[in-house]
Amino acid sequence: MWDAFGFEFINFYLIPGLVLGCIYALGAIGITLTFGILRFANFAHGEVMMSSAYLTYTFMALAASFGLSLVPLVAAIPAAVLTIAIALLIDHFFYRPFRKSETIIIVMASFGMMLMVRALVPVIWGPNQITFVRGITPMKPYLDGMLLVQDKQWLIVIGTVVVMTLFSLLMNFTRIGKAMRAVSDSPDLARVTGINVETVIRATWIIGGFCAAVAGVFLAMNTQQLSVTMGFRMLLPMFAAAILGGIGRPVGAIVGGMVIGLAEELIAYPWQAAVMQLVWWFSEVINASGMTDWAKAVHKQMRGTPLLSPGYKAGVAFGIMVIMLIVRPAGLFKGRVF
Amino acid sequence: MKKTLLMSAAALAFASVASAQVKVGNPMAVTGPIPDLVAPMVDAVNLAVAHVNEQGGVLGQEYVMVAADSGCDPAAAVDAVTKLVNVDQVSALIGPVCSGATIAQATSVAIPAGVVTLSVSASSPAISTLEEGTDLVFRTAASDAYQGVALAELAMASGISDIAVSYAQDDYNAALAAVFAEAFAGMGGTVTANEAHEPDKASYRSEVATMGSTSDNLALFAYYGSGGITLMRNALETGAFSTFIGADGMLAQETIDQIGAENMGNATFTTSASDPTRNAFVAWSALADAAGVPASDPFVANSYDAAFMMALAIEAAGSADRDAIAAGLRAISGPDGETILPGEFAKAKEILAAGGSINYDGGSGPQDFDANGDVAGFFSSNVVVDGSWSATLLK
Repeated sequence: MWDAFGFEFINFYLIPGLVLGCIYALGAIGITLTFGILRFANFAHGEVMMSSAYLTYTFMALAASFGLSLVPLVAAIPAAVLTIAIALLIDHFFYRPFRKSETIIIVMASFGMMLMVRALVPVIWGPNQITFVRGITPMKPYLDGMLLVQDKQWLIVIGTVVVMTLFSLLMNFTRIGKAMRAVSDSPDLARVTGINVETVIRATWIIGGFCAAVAGVFLAMNTQQLSVTMGFRMLLPMFAAAILGGIGRPVGAIVGGMVIGLAEELIAYPWQAAVMQLVWWFSEVINASGMTDWAKAVHKQMRGTPLLSPGYKAGVAFGIMVIMLIVRPAGLFKGRVF
Repeated sequence: MKKTLLMSAAALAFASVASAQVKVGNPMAVTGPIPDLVAPMVDAVNLAVAHVNEQGGVLGQEYVMVAADSGCDPAAAVDAVTKLVNVDQVSALIGPVCSGATIAQATSVAIPAGVVTLSVSASSPAISTLEEGTDLVFRTAASDAYQGVALAELAMASGISDIAVSYAQDDYNAALAAVFAEAFAGMGGTVTANEAHEPDKASYRSEVATMGSTSDNLALFAYYGSGGITLMRNALETGAFSTFIGADGMLAQETIDQIGAENMGNATFTTSASDPTRNAFVAWSALADAAGVPASDPFVANSYDAAFMMALAIEAAGSADRDAIAAGLRAISGPDGETILPGEFAKAKEILAAGGSINYDGGSGPQDFDANGDVAGFFSSNVVVDGSWSATLLK
């Protein structure tokens, strides 16, 4: 039994929230890109994440059978290449024929893709969960044992920062990045100015697929296990992140992902007890012992009670999405409004 | 003309094949959060079907299980059972594994269609009072109204005086947590926190951190495959809890394999169990061993019993009509009549044909239905020994 205040807030609420936010953000980039450039909500995006995690596991298992032990991040490189290939193939065979059709048809095609991939994975790997990394990852102490961080948490946060930096360099300083932004703003105008829209679409799948692959591997590293629904259950928070940030705005997706991830973890913090702690300290400063006793008693009573029952975690993401759609449909970063 | 004749002959042959079968639906949770637990249960059902067919079949016809996947999910269960009831035209249903799935399929499909459900492992207390005016829902597993109390007694006996409760939001886990919390408080224990958690999240660190400030002991009610393992791992990583208790949903080898046996020294989970000293269990375990089915795994004996009892019920009713089956189940479950042990289908048929009455005594327990279609049962507590679960029967 330990005191859940002070650095505990950072160790057990803020850092896990940031880690979750990083995964949401990476996933939301792909969603917002397809939304912005191809103009449809890609429901199969979570399954692309899941595929990359399963492929990474397969490469690790293959290497292990040759007596090599690969860390997930190395095995993730061939897995990411395959994941991108899968994303391109899906686009070529299932989305491209509908390019000129109504949006709803291609949305339904992606919905069908989602179901197909999710049914195919248990056929290959079985319906059971798969252990990605066995056992318990210890929390390493920093700053005289006050700050506790797991290695995998460092890896996920730093990895996300690296991917995001590369991504923003690509979007802002390369020809293809500029072309992508142009198509996102107005596909017709972009075509008239001589931009090859099919190339831009391929680039979108490559970049979105890469981010999804990284997100999938990070998710598997974070939970240390693989399951068939692991991608699907990330879909709602990722869509919420994309809408919160503004559709078609990668920066918005990053910020939105962080906000959703943090919100989901921070609602379980006993904020009422934290307020009572402040009252307790304040009453000690002004020497009101009656008030101190009262605040201490209430604090003790409240410290196990989260602000909002964690049973409503998904409701938080959904609530933020709905409020944003009502108050500011364009999102934080002025995205597209449909 | 010749073609028409051939076709009608084929149709006739087809019809006669179809009429020579007694079809029962078996919507188990083959996918979803507990596939590890369900696989041997499916094997047990198939073993019962094989035994029945080896001994002449039901009503002289082939006994057929039509398999479907309820996925441990209410929506998937409704889809699967709708197909079984309307398309496959099954006589009855055995199987829905999870409580949420069982309740959903019963209230929206099976009860309106007048089809009997005989669940093999749904243990939520809510199932006892599910029906009004009908007698269509039965189960071969004991209600958690008893397991929750058994778990609270176990916690008390092992010296736990305060405990935090975390449960997944579904019919099985929430109901069990409520029974446990009430029983534990009633025995003088303190429930320091009692919170729901949402299944299938990537992280439960904030949940366990908040609750961990109140106690070192956690009563965890979850399915291992939809968050249970992640929550337990997060609790161990953050050091929020050191002692864990819980129930069937976590009792899979998968849990040990993922978390590691060395980290599970202080974890105890209860489950529905069989009393190995009973004659019926000895008979069952001989049959199961011969077929390579794990006789003592959670709900495996219950699954065999359900499939076997359904065949007996149809035989006793004398018809595979949906209306006749509830009465048939009550007729063969006792407590009066000549005792029938697992596998003794031919013997039961003889007695029934001679106008006698039978009382099936299953490997999982006596299987005597009360007014709600519930049975009494035994429970075991399970701890990790040498990398796998080791059970002790609770008396």
